[in-house]
Amino acid sequence: MREEPKVRERVDALVGFVEVTRDLTERRKEQERALSDAQALKAVNAELEAFTYSVSHDLRAPIRQIEGFAKILEEHLGDSLDPQVEHYLHRIQEGSQQMGRLVDDLLHLAQLGRQHAKPRITQLDALVDQVLTSLRAEILERGIICRVGALSALECDPGLMKVVFTNLLSNAVKYTRRSEQPVIEIGQLVTDGIPVIYVRDNGVGFDMKYVDKVFGVFQRLHRAEDFEGAGVGLAIVSRIIRKHKGTIWAEAAPDKGATFFFTLGTEAQQAVTASG
Amino acid sequence: MNSAHIQMLLAEDSASDGDLILASLAKVSLAEATHVVHDGVETLDFVFCRGEYADRSNEPPLRVIVLDVKLPKLDGFEVLREIKAHSRTRLIPIVLLTSSNIDADIARGYLLGANSYVQKPVNFEQFRETIRQLGLYWMTTNEAPPSKHLAERLRPAPE
Repeated sequence: MREEPKVRERVDALVGFVEVTRDLTERRKEQERALSDAQALKAVNAELEAFTYSVSHDLRAPIRQIEGFAKILEEHLGDSLDPQVEHYLHRIQEGSQQMGRLVDDLLHLAQLGRQHAKPRITQLDALVDQVLTSLRAEILERGIICRVGALSALECDPGLMKVVFTNLLSNAVKYTRRSEQPVIEIGQLVTDGIPVIYVRDNGVGFDMKYVDKVFGVFQRLHRAEDFEGAGVGLAIVSRIIRKHKGTIWAEAAPDKGATFFFTLGTEAQQAVTASG
Repeated sequence: MNSAHIQMLLAEDSASDGDLILASLAKVSLAEATHVVHDGVETLDFVFCRGEYADRSNEPPLRVIVLDVKLPKLDGFEVLREIKAHSRTRLIPIVLLTSSNIDADIARGYLLGANSYVQKPVNFEQFRETIRQLGLYWMTTNEAPPSKHLAERLRPAPE
């Protein structure tokens, strides 16, 4: 009496089960494929970051040695130093110092890759103020006008976001060096209900046909003699924005300045993206 | 060998970095008081007066040992652990001098009893200044550990 329905139940379930099993198998295979692809990608990325880290780390010693021995040689030769020899020795030192900065930037980028964003509600105004204070000497000296609009408190990692503003604002300061009256604006728009932060300058700007390059590592749109830098700053910025599930884009024109816009993903947006 | 004037033992396997460190110490007349060893085993032989350093006298004691972390044979951490494990040597101040600034390495160094952890700056001027300060601080400003006898009386219970 009690066993019969159970058997029937099993038989019924089994009939339906054949169909369902086939479906699930397909689906599971897909899921497994997607998972193994994601795992492989993650492993490759981790390996690449470890490689970048160890290369940039191991390059530090030989760079220091080249610079150091050139310096010591210069000091040893002292007053008897031929001006041409002195010039060459300075070139060696400049080259190795430049390489040292590059390697430090690269190391910084690799370390960022390993770091997880720890978001909390952050007053962006306060971060911008801190960064502008650190750039105050050049801003005052060159009479740069800084207009800071009202910025929201957003959920983000304050340390990483400070790196974002430091890079964007020091770029703005750097690339307005030839502007008669440099102006830097920091503000916020709202597009589709999402806050968009922007940093605008009226500096040298760039041609929009190179816009895909500005966020790449070691990509530079200006000659080193005109504007110094290794081409790592915006790559760092873009990586941090990605860590926050946000987006970054730029608008610019030659000699008409550049504007960098970014959004930060919120928990709610991430949930929508994940389920969609 | 005459080791009476040796105050700093520098364990550095890179000949180039060793030269740069000695040149930096020479600026403050401390190179003469520095002896360079090139791997972990040689470091311990020097400290414990054995092997090629069997004839060395332990007096006066070293004022400081500067250890690179990446040493051949035995690395800096292993050397550090060994020196801190013996009552005769555990009071000698040890400075880890390395290119790593990874938190895990810094923490490990201190946990093993390092007295200081210094990262080698990549820029040479900063490197030279760092080495000068390190040499002056540990060989002149800092009070050397008490003599061997006092150290032995302070010997803690066996571990």
